[in-house]
Amino acid sequence: MIEVALALRMEKIGKAFPGVQALSEVDLEVGQGEVHAIVGENGAGKSTLMKILAGVYQPDAGSIHLNGVEVVLQSPLEAKRQGIRMVYQELNLVPDLSVSENIALGRIPKKRGLVDRARMDADARGVLSELQTKIVPSMIVGDLTVSQQQLVEIAKAYASEPKIIVLDEPTSSLSEHETQALFRVIRRMSSAGVSVIYISHRLREVIDIADTVTVIRDGRRIDTQSIDGVTVEKMISLMVGRQLDEVFPKKKVPIGDTILEVKNVSVPGRCEDVSFTVRAGEIVGLAGLVGAGRTEVAQAIFGLRRYSRGQVIVGGVSTHITRPRKGIKAGIAYVPEDRKTEGIIPSESIRNNISLAVLPSLQRAGFIERRKEKELAQQKAHELGVSPPLIERLANTLSGGNQQKVVLAKWLAAKPTVLILDEPTRGVDVGAKADIHTIIGELAAQGVGILMISSELPEILAVSDRIYVLHEGRVTEEIARSDASEERVMRAATGGGLS
Amino acid sequence: MTEAMPPVPVPVASRVLAQSGLTRVRGWIGLPAGVVLVLIVGSILSDKFLSVSNLTNVLISMSIVGLIVVGMTFVFISRGLADLSVPATVGLGGILVLGLQPSLGSLVAGIVGVLAAAVAGFINGGLIGWARVNPVIATLAVGTIVLGVAQAFVGGVIVYGTDTATQDFINSRILGGVPVIVLIFLSVAALGHILLSRTTIGRYTYAVGSNPAASEASAVPVKFTRAFAFLLTGALGGFAGVILGLSLQTARPTLGIGYEFDAITAVVVGGVSLLGGVGSIPRAMSGLLFVQLLTNIMVLQGVPSPVQGIAKGAMIAGAVALDVYLRRRGGTQ
Repeated sequence: MIEVALALRMEKIGKAFPGVQALSEVDLEVGQGEVHAIVGENGAGKSTLMKILAGVYQPDAGSIHLNGVEVVLQSPLEAKRQGIRMVYQELNLVPDLSVSENIALGRIPKKRGLVDRARMDADARGVLSELQTKIVPSMIVGDLTVSQQQLVEIAKAYASEPKIIVLDEPTSSLSEHETQALFRVIRRMSSAGVSVIYISHRLREVIDIADTVTVIRDGRRIDTQSIDGVTVEKMISLMVGRQLDEVFPKKKVPIGDTILEVKNVSVPGRCEDVSFTVRAGEIVGLAGLVGAGRTEVAQAIFGLRRYSRGQVIVGGVSTHITRPRKGIKAGIAYVPEDRKTEGIIPSESIRNNISLAVLPSLQRAGFIERRKEKELAQQKAHELGVSPPLIERLANTLSGGNQQKVVLAKWLAAKPTVLILDEPTRGVDVGAKADIHTIIGELAAQGVGILMISSELPEILAVSDRIYVLHEGRVTEEIARSDASEERVMRAATGGGLS
Repeated sequence: MTEAMPPVPVPVASRVLAQSGLTRVRGWIGLPAGVVLVLIVGSILSDKFLSVSNLTNVLISMSIVGLIVVGMTFVFISRGLADLSVPATVGLGGILVLGLQPSLGSLVAGIVGVLAAAVAGFINGGLIGWARVNPVIATLAVGTIVLGVAQAFVGGVIVYGTDTATQDFINSRILGGVPVIVLIFLSVAALGHILLSRTTIGRYTYAVGSNPAASEASAVPVKFTRAFAFLLTGALGGFAGVILGLSLQTARPTLGIGYEFDAITAVVVGGVSLLGGVGSIPRAMSGLLFVQLLTNIMVLQGVPSPVQGIAKGAMIAGAVALDVYLRRRGGTQ
């Protein structure tokens, strides 16, 4: 192992920002063709370290060696020139261009000054087939699914013949199935000698794909280990610096009457004949692959999307919900999947965010009753443990986990009887995740019926009392907590549930 | 990446401080600092500048455009880009109030003028809110139509009014020398400020401008809120035209030309974001005051008007560029 050439050696990297030491003496060694995972809570310093590698930040201390040669990466361009490629969570593709154009972007092959389209397509086809994907180069990127776009993004990085590819949370929007496809691509790249640095919150996947894992906490490297013998629990305890007995605490709660009944709901092209029930105090998991129609069902129930057929019965009353305002009146709250685009109002205060959905009940003759609003915001921020608990602070100054708590607070202010949570813990760190699960448990204890969509199987299994699985817009299985296993959910999600 | 910067607990505080520092800088654009600076420069350059009569003239000259600035601020904050139909609604208000004056009297004619302009604003709002037409295109088109209607109404010539009593009142000074027109402007600005900062529709205006998708998901009436900003600007444009017509007792269809540009300049220089979600009436008003004082200094210094135009244009471009830059630095994008 020692003789394997080191593609990258970062030595005693230090970086300070005004008032804070972001990184201190961090070492990172990545061998050629190695898949090296970096894990740590949000704010641990992973991103700062990667931005130094990408030439975005300059380190205050330490050195970087590529293949044994010391380099100074003074700009992103220089880092690229040295063969370092980043694939970020936010995709950087041009949606209106074709796959091959996107892959070639920045180094388009030319013939007599004009674009050499034939070569561009051939190059793209070569890369895509080398990575064993089934994406057609002539397709328009905007028409692809998110997971396919991600593969295009990776193909684009790979096509430039890099030495090191950094993947930042590549699976956060992928289903299990798509994740496996991504892993095949990663293994291909690794066997072609490309080193892959893999940043993820999904520790189980880290064990599946990585050769080595480095844990970072509070700007320091805590440990680097070969993946053999590392467990999820071990990683978590290194990340948080304490032993977490249970990652997903589950509270025993008495379950009441049916509070939400969805009967044969159809959204054209998205879901067909979906029926299920949620009872008071019950946490119902809605599992399925990305694109199975889970979000669409949730949006239809809440009024963000029209349904063509079917019935939604809330608390025994059948209501046709066509707008979110009606959904709220019926007692439904929907915490959307993507808090950045659908959850938070970034340039507004925590107070204004929390009160937004219930302003009609806080007003007199169109004027907002500010004292009432303030009390509500303070109370909800306190209940959910928003940190810092300063309600006049702007939402965009908060961390991801705290933004999610603010969005939750907004919906709890509406006092829902049915709470729909769409990927409530995506992209939040381990600590905030546990907080959010605790909050969900407490709400159930108060008698709220909860419908939770999640792509993380361990989360679904740990939190749900019952699980419905969607496959291609249809409910394929209903599984009781006691009968649930990852295998069974996956089978139903991939269409093999009903035999 | 969710972590923009490093670890707890120090960083959270420092990150927030850095941001509010930038926010504060932005708040100062065109605000007190700029106004004070202009006042100092002006008083050095000209001894007439700081006189009560000169400053009163500045206030009078900003009153009409000030009415429009109130509406334009709503448009900007709701991410409605800008209302380019202002010249038409101003012209419509002026023509209607004078044209209908003989039969209806100034008050009723004025109300009709405001309502007609509000209808134009409502059409703008409908096109932009519900039909999702680009605001620039929608307001240009509606403005052209409205101007055409106004021209047809008067046959393309000047309308003269005869109500000298109302004219004298509007141009008079009350309460120990405060011009009536300034009083009207300040009242509308105060009402606009209360509407934007204290009411539900005001709060919705910020929410829709900052994040339309999240607003929609939070049951905010996004379309109505967008439309409301244009309805308000239309009505205020008409009101500005009515006041202008009454104070001059003459109006022609081209009465309102240039007001849209002056209003946009004021709002932008005041640091109200073209990208939506950020700004306030006081801020827009300081932007207006800043631009007006600067113009006044240039006039007193005998700067030729083409040069004044160049200066105003440069100010708009500079202010928008600064806004975008600060947003990026502040990470609010």
